[in-house]
Amino acid sequence: MTELQKRIDDKGLTDVEVKSYMCFGACQEGPNIVLYPEKNWYAKVKVEDLDEITEHLAGGPHVQRLDTIDSSLKELIYQLLDTGVM
Amino acid sequence: MEGILFPHGVPEGRESLSAYRSRGGYEALGKALQASPKELIKIVSDAGLRGRGGAGFPTGKKWQFTREAPEQPRYLIVNGGEDEPGSKKDRVLLENLPHLVLEGAILGAYAIGATKIYLYINAQYDAATQSINDAIAEAKNAGYLGKNILGRGFDLDIEVTAAPHNYVAGEDTAVIEVIEGKKAWPRQKPPFPVTVGLFGKPTLVNNVETLANVAPIALRGADWYGKFGTTESSGTMIFSLNDDVNRPGVYELPFGTPLRYLIEECGGGMKNGKKIKAIMPAAPSSAFLPADKIDTPLDPNSMRDAGSALGCGVVRLIPKGTCIVEEVLKISEFFTAESCGQCPACRMETSTLTMMLKKVQAGQGGQPILEQFGKILAFNKGKGFCSLIGMPGPPIESALKLFPADFAAHLTTGNCPEN
Repeated sequence: MTELQKRIDDKGLTDVEVKSYMCFGACQEGPNIVLYPEKNWYAKVKVEDLDEITEHLAGGPHVQRLDTIDSSLKELIYQLLDTGVM
Repeated sequence: MEGILFPHGVPEGRESLSAYRSRGGYEALGKALQASPKELIKIVSDAGLRGRGGAGFPTGKKWQFTREAPEQPRYLIVNGGEDEPGSKKDRVLLENLPHLVLEGAILGAYAIGATKIYLYINAQYDAATQSINDAIAEAKNAGYLGKNILGRGFDLDIEVTAAPHNYVAGEDTAVIEVIEGKKAWPRQKPPFPVTVGLFGKPTLVNNVETLANVAPIALRGADWYGKFGTTESSGTMIFSLNDDVNRPGVYELPFGTPLRYLIEECGGGMKNGKKIKAIMPAAPSSAFLPADKIDTPLDPNSMRDAGSALGCGVVRLIPKGTCIVEEVLKISEFFTAESCGQCPACRMETSTLTMMLKKVQAGQGGQPILEQFGKILAFNKGKGFCSLIGMPGPPIESALKLFPADFAAHLTTGNCPEN
């Protein structure tokens, strides 16, 4: 998280907040980063992946290889986030 | 009403070996050792005995599976972890009728060809542990345990293990883990303990109350046992009543007895003359029943037909004036705290449900939040290594269905409608 925050600060992305969240039920696929409200979910993230994820946040391409979470779980969690439950 | 486990009412004080023998104690063992283990399994199967730990699996079948497992040695575990809130039946049996439990365990060990029994007892049950340890010493002296039992060439060792004070520690495979010296985390199944259990060997895990039924069955036969209860559920069950009634305690009743009899005749009715708002026949994991289901017979099939379950017989009564939102929140918090955390789905489900109920309680989220409960429960159905993941569902879903006004009031005012 510290590393991600550092990269976001370096990039000057002032509209991005990094925070830890409650369990999304995918810890076996962790570390997980969920970009919300745009709804992208990156799994098994390593420090080496953070530059690409920061690029994505800055308008760059989606990091396809980290988008491995089952779509039904993603849908459930996004719905919970949308309804303000989480 | 005559009982099987408590033939003279709920016992007061510990039954000594001589007192137990004076009413036929250990005669079943002598009789069984004259016959083959297969015959004993057949009697237990014919009697229709089912596990009393909550799942209700046919005991004879479980014994047969363990007996047929080719690996040796085999083990028998007496599960007295008993950490369901409000349950006290196993403690009463271990504390007051230790020889009844012990004889049942010895018979079970003989039936499956076990060489060792592990008695797994809730670490908080000091008196029960003392009682069973004394019974073991007495049984060894009398030749019911140890080498060459009753001169029939049957050797059986026994050991007592303390069960950690948490809910999941009573799950069969978590019990095995603890006895192996590890933390109480359930294992993924299959393989089931009957084939790969303690130290990788075939293991029979039976609840204390289940085993307490064995000696009476072995002594008096399946037909006698079948006179108690219903056609589908023979025998009796010990029910635990708590502070919501005038006479809390344990009560042995034949399957099929109306719930009303337990509450009114045994428990003396609701405390302070309160009226019933909801009934939870298998706290804390069963669905709520409305008060008008009070005449439902106490047997698994009738309870299932009524929309709930019988579990291990902890009957909770929710008095009028209680907010169901607050009740299910407490239940949900219990499962969140008791989830061992090894299965991500269970961790997510239990923590999310609790958080959502807290939001409802605080009047946040509006109607859309209520629609999410069913989705979370459906998504996680059947996941996880043990059954805990499926436990918050029945209370929450039945509460939503039976008491929508309580939820609506919280969501609109943020306050409890019963206050």
